[in-house]
Amino acid sequence: MDESKRGLFYSTRSRLIVSFLSISLLVGLISLIVGIKLLYKTVLNEATTRITLDLNAAREIYHSNINTIHNVLLTASLDGELQLLIETKQIDKIAQKLENISDQIGLDFAGIALNSEKPLFHIGKLSTDENDNKLQNPIITSVFKNGSSVSGTVIFTKEFLMAENPELVERARIEIISTPMAAPRMEKVETSGMTIASGIPLYNNGEIEGVLYGGILLNKNNAIVDRVRETVFQEETYKGKSIGTATIFFKDLRISTNVINSEGERAIGTRVSKEVRDRVLIEGKRWTDRAFVVNDWYITAYEPIIDIFGERVGALYVGVLEEKYIDLRRNIISVFIFITITGIIVAIGLGYLMANKITQPVRQLIRVSNEVSNGNLEPEFGPILKSETGVLQKTFAEMLSSLRERDNLQRAESERKLILSEKQSSIGRLAAGVAHEINNPLTGVLTFTHLLLRRKDISNEVRSDLETIAHQTDRVRKIVKGLLDFSRQTKLDSEPTDINRLVESTITLVKNEALIKGINLEFKPTEGIPVHIVDRNQLQSVILNIIINAFDATKPGGKVIVTTGMGISTNKAELKSIEIVISDNGCGIPTDNLDKLFDPFFTTKETGNGTGLGLAVSFGIIERHGGNIRVQSEVGKGSTFTICLPMEHFDEKTKNTRRR
Amino acid sequence: MKRRKILVVDDDRTVLDSCKRVLEAEGFKVVLASSVKKAIDILEAEYFDLMILDVKMPKHDGMYLLEKIKEKWPLDRWPELPVVVMSGYPTNDTISESLVRGAADFLSKPFTPDELITSTNIILQRSKNHGKQ
Repeated sequence: MDESKRGLFYSTRSRLIVSFLSISLLVGLISLIVGIKLLYKTVLNEATTRITLDLNAAREIYHSNINTIHNVLLTASLDGELQLLIETKQIDKIAQKLENISDQIGLDFAGIALNSEKPLFHIGKLSTDENDNKLQNPIITSVFKNGSSVSGTVIFTKEFLMAENPELVERARIEIISTPMAAPRMEKVETSGMTIASGIPLYNNGEIEGVLYGGILLNKNNAIVDRVRETVFQEETYKGKSIGTATIFFKDLRISTNVINSEGERAIGTRVSKEVRDRVLIEGKRWTDRAFVVNDWYITAYEPIIDIFGERVGALYVGVLEEKYIDLRRNIISVFIFITITGIIVAIGLGYLMANKITQPVRQLIRVSNEVSNGNLEPEFGPILKSETGVLQKTFAEMLSSLRERDNLQRAESERKLILSEKQSSIGRLAAGVAHEINNPLTGVLTFTHLLLRRKDISNEVRSDLETIAHQTDRVRKIVKGLLDFSRQTKLDSEPTDINRLVESTITLVKNEALIKGINLEFKPTEGIPVHIVDRNQLQSVILNIIINAFDATKPGGKVIVTTGMGISTNKAELKSIEIVISDNGCGIPTDNLDKLFDPFFTTKETGNGTGLGLAVSFGIIERHGGNIRVQSEVGKGSTFTICLPMEHFDEKTKNTRRR
Repeated sequence: MKRRKILVVDDDRTVLDSCKRVLEAEGFKVVLASSVKKAIDILEAEYFDLMILDVKMPKHDGMYLLEKIKEKWPLDRWPELPVVVMSGYPTNDTISESLVRGAADFLSKPFTPDELITSTNIILQRSKNHGKQ
């Protein structure tokens, strides 16, 4: 019992704790997952945004290089001296001038082409050889075709490079390194070169006479990408690696880069993945995402490079080492997880404490109720709380106090009953013995008195005395008989009885006596009292006894009222009972006497008028019926005796009878 | 007419004397026995028309005597000897038990001479009629 209670209780407490725990865990996990996702996205977005800006910067640098070439060549073309030299075809001096210019900005090639279809001059190679100069490079053709200056990215095939400067052929040559994930490519070597170049028309009398052009070969020329790294990423390194990288692609081939391969060299000759190639070179769109570049993961941005003819000939790339962001993200997430888990632990701890705090008074109550069930009706309650639990505690305490009260009442009642029944049984035993012993001498007294009375030779005076002896002996006989009746536990001879009719017939028996005494005897029956199983004769003698007592207590002109009705049993609260109430407006019973009323031999009547056994016998009879007799009395106002007979078989049937 | 003989058995002298006085005054021959043992001795020697027997006596009580008579004289004396049982403590049980054991009547002590005489006469009359049959 104890154990199971405790088990039950502990399961409530642990349920509370588990609830706290799971709520904390749930909230923690959700915030963890959401937080990690948000952080992940934020960091990536931040990196992506940055790389997009970086790509813009790289493009600006790329274009500023082109612009520089353009501006320098434009300035030179406006030089009157150069025009004069061209007119006069002073090739040496032209060469001198062009070399100065190209030294200024590091041009790989430069030259002047005249309208007569062949270049007049190339730097690097003093050649006016017809064989070499039949070819007009794309810049020249473009300027003549457009009739205006042209600047931008230009692809020079091997032949054009050869025409400009044989050294360039060697510089442009790049062996293609096979790269996983790249699109398949047949050739093993790239011989064309990607350049940034500019062509400025030379006018003579408003007509384009020739073209001044120059450019930089980008193949294996890392000046631009290194400048991008310097200016955009400020040479930042992470774990020994440059954070930022930049690359110029010719088609999908790295021709200029600061991405380092596993040997620690610039990864020139490696290629971009097919995925990026398709998107940037074929679809012509930007690519911004993480990508595996040579050795490491980078957050990258690519955009196509368009040549002067509007063709997508290559791509510009910038990338930041993803590792840095991953580490950053990992750190942030670690901190976040740490904070969340700490929060969860704190929440669980608090939950545990709260569960304990909530259940503590309940535990107290359980302990108290255990004590109560073990018989201690005055257990230690501990402090009464102000919460609902406090209300429970108070209610429990009140319940206990009423329980104590009832307990005391019951104890007093049962003690009283025990004393009464002991008194009665000992008196019974005494009575039986006394009766037996007294009856033998009484037989003698009766016999000899009667024998004497038969004699004719006695005076009237003696006869009268003898008659008194006989009469008083008869009284003794009656007292002894009453004693015996009282002492005998006569079995009940019960049968279904209409209580109203029984009371009615009893009243008939004493009507004459009431009339003689001048007492108004009334019967007020309540209709519908169910048939009840009683011993008719014994119950009648009880009613008779009480009515006659009432007569004795009432003066002429007084009233004795007998009523019947239904009540609630005082023995068993759940049972209905039949009540026969006999009340008078006689002299009443003093409080002192009320307690002794049912004691054998207690009487207030004058000697010779009562044995003092009537009420004791009556009480015994009603008690054997499972009922009791209650008395209410006030001196001078009268008494009310209530005979209470509980209905043991109070079933549906009798209920219905009552309603009818 | 031959005097009827009555045996009275009681441990109380007063009761014995009372019965003797009343019954002799009515013309009966009365023999007294103060115990069950004495009563058995007397019954072995003499023949009686009626026995008046107290229930409660020390040592052997009236019920014992009723039982004994049945054993000793199963046919010849019994049931021709009618018995009136008397008791100072007449419960329903005592009355019914004595009647079951063959008692003809029951007297509650204390009784008046008239009650004793009436009972005696009625029983003797009944047994006389019985004897004639």
